[in-house]
Amino acid sequence: MTNAGRLKLFMISCLAPGLLVYGLFAIVPIVWSAYYGFFDWSGIGEPKYAGWDNYASVVREPLFWRALKNNIIVVGASILGQLPIALALALLLNRNTWFSRTVRSAVFMPMVMSTVVVALIWKYIYHPQIGVLNYALKLVGLESWTMPWLSDPSVNMYALSVPIIWANVGPYLIIFVSAIQNLPSEVDEAAKLDGAVGGRKLFSVTLPMMWDTIKVTVIMCIAGSLKAFDLVFVMTHGGPAHTTELLATYMYNSTFAVYRYGYGSAISTLIVLVSAALILFSQLLMNRRSSS
Amino acid sequence: MKRMSVGAHIRSLLLAVYALLTLYPLYWLFVSAFKSNQEFFRHPYALPREPVLANLTRAWELGGMGRAMANSAIVAALALALTLLLASLPAFVLSRYRFRLRGPIMAFLLLGMLIPIHSTLVPLFIMLNRIGMLDSYAALIFPYTAFELSLAIFLIAAYMSSIPKEIEEAALIDGMGYWGVLLRLMLPLSAPALATVAILAFLRYWNEFSFALVFINSKSLKTLPLSLTLFSDGFGTDYGLTMAAMAIAVLPTIVIYLFFQEQIMKGMVAGAVKG
Repeated sequence: MTNAGRLKLFMISCLAPGLLVYGLFAIVPIVWSAYYGFFDWSGIGEPKYAGWDNYASVVREPLFWRALKNNIIVVGASILGQLPIALALALLLNRNTWFSRTVRSAVFMPMVMSTVVVALIWKYIYHPQIGVLNYALKLVGLESWTMPWLSDPSVNMYALSVPIIWANVGPYLIIFVSAIQNLPSEVDEAAKLDGAVGGRKLFSVTLPMMWDTIKVTVIMCIAGSLKAFDLVFVMTHGGPAHTTELLATYMYNSTFAVYRYGYGSAISTLIVLVSAALILFSQLLMNRRSSS
Repeated sequence: MKRMSVGAHIRSLLLAVYALLTLYPLYWLFVSAFKSNQEFFRHPYALPREPVLANLTRAWELGGMGRAMANSAIVAALALALTLLLASLPAFVLSRYRFRLRGPIMAFLLLGMLIPIHSTLVPLFIMLNRIGMLDSYAALIFPYTAFELSLAIFLIAAYMSSIPKEIEEAALIDGMGYWGVLLRLMLPLSAPALATVAILAFLRYWNEFSFALVFINSKSLKTLPLSLTLFSDGFGTDYGLTMAAMAIAVLPTIVIYLFFQEQIMKGMVAGAVKG
C-alpha cells in the first residue's frame, strides 16, 4: 500500500466509528421524527400514513401554545434573572482572591447536582405545609403571602423559574468574570484619568465593552431554557391541569402516557423548529442592535 | 483603601449571604438525611439532635438505592470508555490533518450541540424499539455517548492542536506508524484534556434523567435519578428517608466537584458557549 493510501485508511478508521454513533443516535432521530410525524402509530402493529394530520392538530391544540408561552416565560426569567445576578456577582468577584474563588465555587455548585435532586429539594421548599418558604413567610409575619406555590396557576410558572435561575447562575458568572478580567487595563486607567468612577464607569465603559459577551449569554439563555424538561417534569409533571406544561413535557405527556408516537414526533419536530427560530431570531435581534 | 473598608465589608457580607443562600438547600438536604421523621416535623430546620443513620441504610436496602447506584456506575463507566475512544480518534485526525471533508465534519459535529435533546426522545424510542435495544444498558450508553461526542471531540482536538508537531514527525521518521503515534504518543500527551472530558461526561451520565425515564422500564435497570423520582413518589411522606436517598445520589458528584472545580467550571462553560 502507498503511503498516501495508508494515511487515508488510518484517517477513515479513526473518523468512522465516532461519526457513525454520533450520526445514528444524535442526528438521524431528528430526521426520523419529521418523517414519523406523518404517521399514526400506537406502538403495536403497522404505522398508518396520516398526511399532515398530526402537524395540523398540534398547531390547533391550545395546550401546545400554552406550553410555548410557558417556555417563553422561562426564557424571560433566565434572561432577566440569571444574567443580572451573574453580572452583579461578577463585578464584585472578579479578583482572584480566596474569598472570591470560594463564593464563585459555591454559586457554581448546583450545576454538578442532578436536576432531579435540585427539583426534589425545591419541591420541599415550596411544600404548602412543611416548606421552608411558607415557614419563613409566617416567621416574619407575612402569613397572608403563604400559598401553594406549585399548584396556584397564577404563580406556579414563576415559582418554577426560581430554581432554574438558582441552578444556572454559575456558568454565566464564570463567563462574565473572565470577560471582566480580559478587559484591557489601559481602558481602566483612561477612565480613571477622565474621572469616570463607580456607576459612571460601569455604564459608560465596562458594560459597553462587555456587550459581545452579554450577547452570547442571551443566546445561551434562550438555548438553555429549552432544556428545562427534567426540573419541571419532576416538580409538577406539567400540571396541575397543564398549567406548567413546557413544550418538552407536553411532548412527553402526549406521547408516552397515551401511546401516540406519531403525534409526539410531530411535536418533537416543531420543538426543533421553534428552537432554531428562537436562536436565529435572537441572533438577528442582537446583530441589529449592536450595529445601530 | 482604608476609606473603602466599610463598603467593602458590607459587600463581602452580602456576597457571603448569597453564597450561603445557594448552598442552603444542599445543607438542608444533608441535615435532614440524619433526622427521624418525627424530628423532621418538630424541628425542620435545626441541626439533628439525635442523628440517625437508619435513613441511609434503609434507603440503600429498602429503596433499592444500592442497585440504582450500581446501574448508574455501570452505565456511566461504559459510556465514558466509549466516549473517550470515539472522541479521541476523530479529534486527532481533525486537529492534525487538513482535508476536504474537515470543514463539513466540524459543522456536522456542531449541529449536535444545537439540537434540543428532548426532541430526540420520541424518535429514539421508536428506533431503539425497532432494533430491540429498549430497556437495556445499551439504550442509554449509545445515546449518552452520541450527545457528548461533539463537545468531547472539540475539547480534545483543541488540546491536541497545542502539542508541537515536531514530536510526532520525529516519531514517524523513527518508524512509529500512524497508530503508534496516536496511541503511544498523542493520547498520553493529551491526558489533561482526556481527564476534563472524562469528568464532564461522568457528571452528565451520572445525573441524566430524561433518556433513562423513557428508555428504561425494568426496575432492576433503573439509574439513580430515575429511582429517586420513584422513591419520592413512594416514600415521599418519609422525609428523612427521601432526603437520605438524595444525599446518597448527590454525594459522589459533590466529592468530584471539590477535587476538580477548575476543570469542571472551564469545561462546562466551554460546552455552554459552543452549544
